[in-house]
Amino acid sequence: MKRIITIILAVSFLSGCVEMGTKQDAFPSMYGPQKPVSILVVPAINESTAADAGDLLNVTVSQPFTNMGYYVIPMPIVTDIFRNEGIVEGTQIKGMPTELFKKNFGADAVLFMTIESWDKNYAVLAANVTVGIEYVLLSTTSNEILWSYEQVVVIDTSGGSGNLLADIISTAITTGLTDYASVARQVHARAVTAMPFGKYHPRSGADGLDKSVVIAAKESAIAED
Amino acid sequence: MKIRIIAVAAALVVLSGCASQVTEAGYYWGNYANTLYVYAKEPSDETLAAHVEELNKIIAESTERGLKVPPGIYAELGYIEAKAGDDGAAMSHYEAEMNLYPESRIFLERLTADQK
Repeated sequence: MKRIITIILAVSFLSGCVEMGTKQDAFPSMYGPQKPVSILVVPAINESTAADAGDLLNVTVSQPFTNMGYYVIPMPIVTDIFRNEGIVEGTQIKGMPTELFKKNFGADAVLFMTIESWDKNYAVLAANVTVGIEYVLLSTTSNEILWSYEQVVVIDTSGGSGNLLADIISTAITTGLTDYASVARQVHARAVTAMPFGKYHPRSGADGLDKSVVIAAKESAIAED
Repeated sequence: MKIRIIAVAAALVVLSGCASQVTEAGYYWGNYANTLYVYAKEPSDETLAAHVEELNKIIAESTERGLKVPPGIYAELGYIEAKAGDDGAAMSHYEAEMNLYPESRIFLERLTADQK
């Protein structure tokens, strides 16, 4: 009897904890000669029902990855170039040989983003948005996956003041007008905590032992759904 | 006397550090994310002018503080100028980007060839 309880406790303890790994164990290529300096971000692939989610992601992606120490090829220019070629979604690029991006953009790596979910939930007193993004960074020299991550975030978009009537009204207002750009920024900001620093960050090459990678998130980003 | 000056100087450094929002990589972004987002959402002469003004501010502020201008800022400004037909200004901004970030050379040289 006691043993069963012990086992149950152990199981519930285990399921409650998340397996974390170090950056270098999770992404060894990011610490070798293949470590990219320049990254080309291609327009997001939107599999969610929110039509504007792709644009929100594209417009907010440069800053967090640049702050990690990479040279992100200027996204507003890149978006224009792709649009002129009739490419508005990353799906149209997925099959292309990545050397093309090395040759034409000077990119060491290409970053694909897939929006798995962008679900707004409304209730009388609460509102939130659940966002799930998969990131995959591919080397343009070897086609190898250098970094991958799936980030799911639930963001509260309701304003709570404690006053019931005021809350009902403000929930309705803020959910309609929520600055979803800030939602996109928060998702990027969390995802990059699992990314090794690049050349222009003072800790470049010195963060291999940072235990900030959720192993399951690395795997699920590249698993076939 | 000396101690008081140091204390004041230290306080100033702390204060300016709070207001400046310089990232770990040493970049000052000002209000970049917002002006870019507003312009992307509603492209117009006004929203473009506001974004250009922000790009110029970031360059001025970074220079004043002895920081490196963040990747892409010079290039973006040059691109907007090239589209407006000001090739001279565009070229000097592309040059500035390539000098700071040599990784941008292939892309910017290709871009200028295409824009001609």
